[in-house]
Amino acid sequence: MIFSTLEHILTHISFSVVSIVITIHFLTLFLLVDEVVGLYDSSKKGMIVTFFCITGLLVTRWIYSGHFPLSDLYESLIFLSWGFSLIHMVSYLKFKKRKNNLSAITAPSAIFTQGFATSGLLTKMHQSAILAPALQSQWLMMHVSMMVLGYAALLCGSLLSVALLVITFRKAIKIIGENNNFSFSFGKIQYMNERSNVLLNTYFLSSKNYYRYQLTQQLDRWSYRIISLGFIFLTIGILSGAVWANEAWGSYWNWDPKETWAFITWTIFAIYFHTRTNTNLEGVNSALVASMGFLIIWICYFGVNLLGIGLHSYGSFTLN
Amino acid sequence: METLLNPSKTPNLFIPKTHLFKPYFLHSNFNPQPHSSFNRRPLSITITCKVKTSQGRKNDGKNISKKIVLTDSAPELSNEEIKAKPKGGGKAWGVIKKFPKRVLAILSNLPLAIGEMFTVAGLMALGTAIDQGESPEYYFQKYPEENPIFGFFTWRWVLTLGFDHMFSSPVFLGTLILLGTSLMACTYTTQIPLVKVARRWSFLQSADSIRKQEFSDTLPQASVSDLGVILMGAGYEVFLKGPSLYAFKGLAGRFAPIGVHLAMLLIMAGGTLSATGSFRGSVTVPQGLNFVMGDVLGPTGFLSTPTEAFNTEVHVNKFYMDYYDSGEVSQFHTDLSLFDMNGKEVMRKTLSVNDPLRYGGITIYQTDWSFSALQILKDGEGPFNLAMAPLTINGDKKLFGTFLPVGDTDSSNVKGISMLARDLQSIVLYDKQGKFAGVRRPNSKLPIEIDGTKIVIVDAIGSSGLDLKIWALQDGTTVIVGGKTNRAKAEFPDEMNRLLDQVPEIVESSISKKPDNIGG
Repeated sequence: MIFSTLEHILTHISFSVVSIVITIHFLTLFLLVDEVVGLYDSSKKGMIVTFFCITGLLVTRWIYSGHFPLSDLYESLIFLSWGFSLIHMVSYLKFKKRKNNLSAITAPSAIFTQGFATSGLLTKMHQSAILAPALQSQWLMMHVSMMVLGYAALLCGSLLSVALLVITFRKAIKIIGENNNFSFSFGKIQYMNERSNVLLNTYFLSSKNYYRYQLTQQLDRWSYRIISLGFIFLTIGILSGAVWANEAWGSYWNWDPKETWAFITWTIFAIYFHTRTNTNLEGVNSALVASMGFLIIWICYFGVNLLGIGLHSYGSFTLN
Repeated sequence: METLLNPSKTPNLFIPKTHLFKPYFLHSNFNPQPHSSFNRRPLSITITCKVKTSQGRKNDGKNISKKIVLTDSAPELSNEEIKAKPKGGGKAWGVIKKFPKRVLAILSNLPLAIGEMFTVAGLMALGTAIDQGESPEYYFQKYPEENPIFGFFTWRWVLTLGFDHMFSSPVFLGTLILLGTSLMACTYTTQIPLVKVARRWSFLQSADSIRKQEFSDTLPQASVSDLGVILMGAGYEVFLKGPSLYAFKGLAGRFAPIGVHLAMLLIMAGGTLSATGSFRGSVTVPQGLNFVMGDVLGPTGFLSTPTEAFNTEVHVNKFYMDYYDSGEVSQFHTDLSLFDMNGKEVMRKTLSVNDPLRYGGITIYQTDWSFSALQILKDGEGPFNLAMAPLTINGDKKLFGTFLPVGDTDSSNVKGISMLARDLQSIVLYDKQGKFAGVRRPNSKLPIEIDGTKIVIVDAIGSSGLDLKIWALQDGTTVIVGGKTNRAKAEFPDEMNRLLDQVPEIVESSISKKPDNIGG
């Protein structure tokens, strides 16, 4: 009993903290608040709190149910939001010197996945359930956790690529049309503050284009790195899944919908890497491929479960 | 990220109005830092060194190795020339030799490879959207000609292109083979030479050629050997020849793409081998009965040859399930004994879901279970075995039922007692009117009285669903197909024979059949 209350508390805390963080981001973005630094500090702390809350939530569930918390859709969604906050923590800790704006991507993702998980659609699954016989294996920990972490990283990276595309084609899309240098948030503020004295004699670029260029470069590089990480996790996940399938179902690869879509995801991101090798296609084209990858990951993770068929059917749920 | 202000590439790529494809980068006057997008760790050296980054076809950006070439004086020029392939023989061979070269050149084209990968992905997606392995009538119904999807997609498309068995259809396999050949071609033509390039010590001897590199700087009053030491500390491999220095880093990154592509080729080869040379079968066996392996295994491809182990007889000693306290199933267990042709027991093992039995190249998996028969005593007579039939309900849960007629069995409207069970633990009984009468646990010996008939549930006999697989080709020896079948039903009372003829079911699998779902 105490565990379930603890779970409840942790869920609520993490959810509220993340919403506060996002609100802060929106404030800095749209209202151009002057004490950017102060608010930014608190948003950083907020993400740390979220990370620990979700970790606590997962550990509690693990202890309470006796099995690794990845047996159905609810638990894997919580794990996915944990993955997002983990990515944020890692990048925050590793790149402390530079202003790290990844939380603009990870925070909303974490909140959306967690919000969906705790929403009314999946209330049946909130209780820790008994593990089905097929899932009682050591491979559960390795395969599923690798896959979900891979999804988290790839989603993050593809969102960054989408951001890159949006910024590049901003004029075409006409999202925010004003000539305001602050309109696209984060990195630009820093650049203005630190580098205002040196810039203007770069060749044939106006200062606004220059900032946008810098930003897109940064986004490009970050998305490349995060997608690489996610790709490694995805590969390990697929390979361990194949080995587990051999133990449990008799063959390494059964062309199950979930397996097939995981392979399609893998292929799309392999295409992403291959487009980056050629400098002509780098930048916008690879971002296009990564954006496609975003949709495909959601189909793979979620859409296949809606079908409810195949060997992975314990990940499914019915809307009631 | 950016420690220097100056852009290292032309910004042309990111001005929105311009076209997406831009030519290679233009040299700028600035001597900017080396391609930031190509480094993992930006060079912080600002002394006399040049950095040459080589760009390959299938290179990940971060795997580029960096070479630093250094000189003090200006001796004679030396050229470095890398040839992708050794030149052919005499003139007569020239034309013939050109053909494979051209083919290779076409195959290792990167956009072609990307296109192939997209095609494979698209076909796989289509394969999940279209239901696989159904009978043609299903496709006639689902994709009718009168009302085609998207205006043109009818069952003709599905059946002629082989989309009903997409993952073994010629279209799909052909694309995979093409991708495989592209992989091989690319590895041969670009990546192996890249390794050679990376390893070759290419000393640049003249100051001019060094200054032409992407990054260059001049440091007066410095010594080459000092630089060498610093570079070694930074992790470079340094080669010093007279006044010339050459250093590089990141050789391991050259091997990575080759390794990955070779691994993928191996996987594809293994998959092809197993698809053409293995056996597979599945069988549902009630506890107490047996079967011979050779009976149930069918070949999947044209290279499959059976082995000696096919003569083994498998006997199901016991099938039971473990339960959690809540009543849900925790694990399925099947206790099997294997006998060879002489009747000697060669192996005995209890299988469970993630724990298969391996013997002589054959592996037996526990995949499914079903309820075979219910043994009851009626009014003290019996025991009778009533076969349980599966009832279809929505979802994964299974339900089995059987029926015990009471009274006049020859009349057209037979009334009787029905018994339903979800698992082997409890049987629910209903009387002649269909009203709920009671629940009994097998082996409890507690009688229940329904409409004047006393029923005692003695035992619930489950049957275990097993899946068998055998891998690879082995030396074929002649096989004696076992003459023993599962028709050992004569032990049971005759009047129940017609019911028991349904048990066990032997399900011969076809090539495209998937193993049974592991339901609960």
